[in-house]
This record gives sequence, structure tokens and C-alpha cells, in this order.
Amino acid sequence: MAEVNQQGCLFVGEGVVLKGNFDVPDIASISGTVEGELTAKQVLIEATGIVRGKLTGESIDIRGEVNEYISSTRSLIIRSTGKVTGSINYSEIEIEKGGHLHGDLHNLNPHS
Amino acid sequence: MSIFSKNSNSKENDEPVAHEPEEMEAQATPVEGEFAPAVTAPVEQTMRTEFANRPNVLNTKPSIISEGFTFEGTITSDGVLNVSGTVRGKITAKSVLIDTSGKVDGELNSEQLVIKGQLHGDVSCEDLNVGPMAHVDGNINYKYIHIQRGGKVSGKFIKN
Repeated sequence: MAEVNQQGCLFVGEGVVLKGNFDVPDIASISGTVEGELTAKQVLIEATGIVRGKLTGESIDIRGEVNEYISSTRSLIIRSTGKVTGSINYSEIEIEKGGHLHGDLHNLNPHS
Repeated sequence: MSIFSKNSNSKENDEPVAHEPEEMEAQATPVEGEFAPAVTAPVEQTMRTEFANRPNVLNTKPSIISEGFTFEGTITSDGVLNVSGTVRGKITAKSVLIDTSGKVDGELNSEQLVIKGQLHGDVSCEDLNVGPMAHVDGNINYKYIHIQRGGKVSGKFIKN
């Protein structure tokens, strides 16, 4: 879907290393490495993707690796190849079997 | 034969056959007969209610804390434990299932753990499966984890 309309999207290819803070209005698809803060509406961390730093977004889908911090206001999915360490804030979470989770988990809206 | 079979057989001839073991089972276990058919092998008809001193085989019948039943204390089992009621205390078992109506408050050690209900406390397990309606809160040590969408989990998660 992102390939059709790439406005407001960030694609980091495999082997690419980005350092800094990134504010992405739409989709951020990461196959390379991001060091720093990344904020996007929708985040896809592909199997080769690595984020070292803070990751915030509405929907976050992780097949790669994320360290330090994640905050997801809508849905957080850790796929079977995904590896997450650090502090995690979510409103809805799903972890596929084989997914790696190490850290503190907080529910943003623990009611009901 | 489980009592679920009575729903599936539409043939008139099968009906009396299906009912016979059901009645036998109800006599043998008036309290837990309702739960037994879903989980038991068809061969055995009686239900044991002890929570300790279970044989070292996983294929034996599960120990059941039924809905509406509250247990306080320590449960130790080499087999399967199904919790539909409430447990406050420590649980050690090979396999634990906390059903949708089940609540556990305390320490829990098991190899296989399926949570559909509520759990508060420190958990140590190998295989953890959290259902979509589950509430889990505490320090979780695990080897393999699976959280289904909708499951509410919070606390410290440590992968061994």
C-alpha cells in the first residue's frame, strides 16, 4: 500500500544506518538500522530492521529488533522473528509464538 | 464417552448408548461430573479430587478447581491443573490452565501455562500462552511466549 502513495513515508533499506530523530506522518518501514528516536503513524520493522532508541506510533509491527522503548497507542504486534527489549507501552498487544520480549510491559488503558 | 457426544449423535439408536456412561459418571462424581467429560479419557470413569500425590504421568486426569470454588494455600502437582475458580497462594504443576472464570493470586510455577482468566503474581514457566480475554499482572519468567490479541499484560517480562 505504501508503494502506491509514498507521501509522508520513510523507507530505510537493508544496510542503511540512520542516526537522529525522525518524525514520520505516515508509514515508516525499516529494513536497515535506526539509531535515535522514531515517531510514525504506522511502523513496520522488517526482519532485518533494527531500532536502537525510542519508537512511538499508533500501529507498530515488529519482525526485527527494537531496543530501549516502544509506545504504541493502537496496536503492537511482535511477530515470531521479532525481538523487543526495554520498556513497552501499549493499548493492544499481540505476540506471536517465538517472539522475544524482555522488559517492562505497561498497558496504556488498563480499564476493563 | 463424553457427554458432548450426546449433541452430535442424531441417530435414534445411539441415544441410550450415549446416555449410559453419562449417568455412571454422574454417580461416581456428583460434584465434578460436569467438568470431567471435557478433559478425560473415555476409559476411566472415576474422578479423583486430591490435589497432591498425583502420579507422574501427564496423561492422567487434571486436578480441577471448579468455578465458585476458592482455594487458599499451596498446590503441588506433577500433572495438569485446571483453575476455573479462585486460587490464592502458590501453585506448582507441570501444566496449568487458568480458565476464563479462573483467578490466581500468588506465585505460579509450571512448564506449560495457559491463561484465559486473571493472574496476579510472579510466574515462572517454559511455555506461556495468554488468551484474548486474559489479564496478567506480575513478573513473568518464560522461555516461549504467545500473547493473543486483546490479552492485557503488564509487569516485568524476562526471557530465559
